Amino acid sequence: MHAGVTLLPVIMRASQTPATAAAQGGKSFIDPQVLMRIKNLELRARVVVQGFWNGMHRSPYHGFSVEFTEYRQYTPGDDPRYVDWKLYARSDRYYVKKFEDETNLRCQLLVDCSKSMGYGSLGYTKSDYANTLAASLGYFLFEQGDAVGVLTFDEAVRDYLPARNRPGHLRQLMLTLEKAAAGTATDLIAPLKRAAEINRRRGLMILISDLLAPVDRLETSLGTLAASGHEVLLFHVLDPTEVTFSFDKASLFYDVESARELYIDPALARREYLRQFTAHTAGIEAICRKLGVAYHRLMTDQALELAMFDFLRARDRRGKLVKRHNR
Amino acid sequence: MSFLAPLFLAGAAAIALPILFHLIRRTSREKVTFSSLMFLTSSPPRVTRKSRLENILLLLLRCAVLALLATAFARPFLRHVTSAPTGNAKRIILLVDTSASMKRDELWADAKAKAAEFAKSAAAGDELAVLTFDRGARTLLAFNDWNAAPIGDRAALVSQRLQLIEPKFAMTQLGNALLSATELLDHENTSAMARQIVVISDLQDGAKLDGLQGFNWPRNTSVNVVQLKSKRPTNVGVQILPEPAVTTSGAEVVKVRVSNSAESKREQFEVRWSSAPTNVVAVYVPPGQSRTVDLPKPAAADRVMLTGDESDFDNTAWFVPPSREQINVLFIGDDSDRDPQRQLFYVHRAFSDTPRQIVRVAVTKPDAPLPNTNASVIVVATAPSAEQSTAIAEKLRNGATVLWSMTTTADAAPLAQLAGVSITADEASSGKYSMFGEIDFAHPLFVPFADARFSDFTKIHFWKHRTLKFDASPNARIVARFDNGDPALAQFTVGKGTLLVLASSWQPGDSQLALSSKFVPLLYSVLEFSGAIKAQALAFNAGDVVDLSGVTAPKLSVRKPDGSIADLVTTSTKFSATDQIGVYSVVSAQPPFQFAVNLAPEESKTTPLAIEELQKLGVPLNVTLAGTPEHNARKAAQLKATEIESRQKLWRWLIAATLLVLMVETLVASRLSRRAATPAGT
Repeated sequence: MHAGVTLLPVIMRASQTPATAAAQGGKSFIDPQVLMRIKNLELRARVVVQGFWNGMHRSPYHGFSVEFTEYRQYTPGDDPRYVDWKLYARSDRYYVKKFEDETNLRCQLLVDCSKSMGYGSLGYTKSDYANTLAASLGYFLFEQGDAVGVLTFDEAVRDYLPARNRPGHLRQLMLTLEKAAAGTATDLIAPLKRAAEINRRRGLMILISDLLAPVDRLETSLGTLAASGHEVLLFHVLDPTEVTFSFDKASLFYDVESARELYIDPALARREYLRQFTAHTAGIEAICRKLGVAYHRLMTDQALELAMFDFLRARDRRGKLVKRHNR
Repeated sequence: MSFLAPLFLAGAAAIALPILFHLIRRTSREKVTFSSLMFLTSSPPRVTRKSRLENILLLLLRCAVLALLATAFARPFLRHVTSAPTGNAKRIILLVDTSASMKRDELWADAKAKAAEFAKSAAAGDELAVLTFDRGARTLLAFNDWNAAPIGDRAALVSQRLQLIEPKFAMTQLGNALLSATELLDHENTSAMARQIVVISDLQDGAKLDGLQGFNWPRNTSVNVVQLKSKRPTNVGVQILPEPAVTTSGAEVVKVRVSNSAESKREQFEVRWSSAPTNVVAVYVPPGQSRTVDLPKPAAADRVMLTGDESDFDNTAWFVPPSREQINVLFIGDDSDRDPQRQLFYVHRAFSDTPRQIVRVAVTKPDAPLPNTNASVIVVATAPSAEQSTAIAEKLRNGATVLWSMTTTADAAPLAQLAGVSITADEASSGKYSMFGEIDFAHPLFVPFADARFSDFTKIHFWKHRTLKFDASPNARIVARFDNGDPALAQFTVGKGTLLVLASSWQPGDSQLALSSKFVPLLYSVLEFSGAIKAQALAFNAGDVVDLSGVTAPKLSVRKPDGSIADLVTTSTKFSATDQIGVYSVVSAQPPFQFAVNLAPEESKTTPLAIEELQKLGVPLNVTLAGTPEHNARKAAQLKATEIESRQKLWRWLIAATLLVLMVETLVASRLSRRAATPAGT
């Protein structure tokens, strides 16, 4: 039994508390601008995760593994492989051995690769940021010995890599993420429904998206995931300009998703935009609260380490909950 | 201020454009990519107060450019500056065409109506005269008559006078008529008034415009042309060609030319003699072309008629057959008529009978007495006897022509006696042959050969000739020389007559002359030279003056085709009252004398004349087409406006102003942009 959950304070110490770090705009962390200059995604992830020690989670589930937990009377339908023949010889009764599950966590990264993710005002796109985040999380979890899979989507599922932990899987994961070129429009319902269908076993679902889709649709899709018993973590990736709408010149605005063009005078449109945008994000947060989904808003100018802290904190809270539940 | 093309003023509406551009904030064509427009709505273009204030001077300048351009294109002009005020009285001459072509259709009625219309529209102060014209112009109503008449009756007077006349058969001499009218306008001492000539005519293609080329039109004179159009454009003219009727196989044939006008709708016509209604010759003449047909002439026919034409004023051509003359030629010599080695053989055969004349050759031996014939030409082939010589000299002095061909040198003595100068002759010792070396083509004998096509006499070889020598005398003239310089043909004037001496002869032993193609024409030249063949003019055009000096009659009076008799003034032999077409005859003339008067062929060319032809000749035209009066008035006003505008040319100043404003605009714009750029640069 490992005490992975206790790792968090150690890391925190190394670079202040997440709250203060966030307050300082992530100054002690690696600037995303600098980070994005690293071409290789795996290397980028490694840089982010460096300093994090691979810890183990306490597995809440039983599985067939090396570590024995208990015996159980055989009932027809059990795999005869696990029948303890020695015990049968001794007691003339069929018992099956039960082991602690080797892989503790099955984590599926759901990465949005729609066209809107291809937007970025800082020299790199939201997609770059999201991929780096996904890679970092994947790397971190993989190193921890958890099974990590990835699913990229736009309107439909583009690529799917099941959650595994075996040599070479990390490499594949990185390749899948690197491959994720900008797709088309964002639609969360179909891909998330499909993700829920594929991942029958309960686990962790990390959704990374800009969520530029109507709120009502979002509720349906997140609801599908949460309802299938998964733990859902939502990283809402946004470009700073999307939050502030800091344009000054009236121009023809081009929608990368719908290829629509609109003449927009920011001076006139900003207020309405901010109103609608705030309403949108507020709507998302309300839905997350309702569904018990951990919501984290990430600006692309924020350090990725903050996202990692958010993740670990969420896991910590969850872990405590699970422990309490198990007791 | 008025405008020639006021529609262009609508272009001034373009001023709204710069105003609009200045008011609307410039829409950026810059494209900004954004993740999603789901929270955005399109912004309307904004009117900004800022730009309006900033560029007000530029705006004004740009508006001024457009306004000036629009005004310049509208061609403005100032009416009050016109030099020819419209209110002033005018002197107007109505030139009414009374040529034969006006007989067509309703043209004459139209012409009268137009003239009356013009007379009516004349202002009270205007002076008006009416002239009719065909070959010449005649005054129908003088300025004085017009002025004398009460103002209310003037138009009626014009109509009344016009009712009295009708188009005649003469051709159209528009040029002369215009000059006469100008003269009449000039004649009166009223230089201050504007002068106007109104031509009311069908203006046919055949109208003569002689005299207009280079004519210096007086100032203040304008010519209005009212071109009357016939409803029936087809017109064919028929004309008998002046060549003498040729006799083939015994029947007389007359050549008839049928000319179709270019606007014709018909192509198939028929011609016939009036006395032979059944003997019809069909002619196919495409529009604008003419065809000549041979028409066999019956005995007593005097006119050719054409059928199939729409206008029949020119469909009859009158014809008087030429009378046959007898010409007597006396040949003195002992030649046989049957001997081809002698000269008589060729003289007999040279003169064949023609429809115009019969040549009788009388032959006399040198020793026989001279017959008492009225011979106009005496050909001497053998030296005559002394008595004969005396008789010949007598005839010579009375005007006869003697052609002496020297066959021997012995002819020199009687020749010298006849000519009255000393003449000697030697036999020329030419090695091979001689030719005519030098010919005086100005001499009446050789005039027919003067053309380069006929002037080659080098093919006539003279084997023998005599070298004539005679003293220079005002009565002696060498017409032709041989190539060695010896006289070949000499002319001596004796009294009223002429003695022609050929220093050789045409008998084949002497020369090739009789065998050449020049021989017969040369003999006819001698006949003409002697006055035996007279040019008979028997065909005239209406309006021509006929010379009756050759007609012998106790008193010269001419019976016209309509039967009326016109007497000539006793001192004059010229008859000019050829105002009808048909056959005229001189009363009690001996021999009887008739002549035909026809329509001038030009008069048949009824295709309307292009007005541009008149313009090319410098006629100061004010074209009036046969339209409605309002339309004409509008057109006239437009023309006047065009004229005033072209004189003032205000548009040039406007364009200059536009350029100036543009320059200022450029300056202002560049200064503004520099000012805008400076803070940005710092």
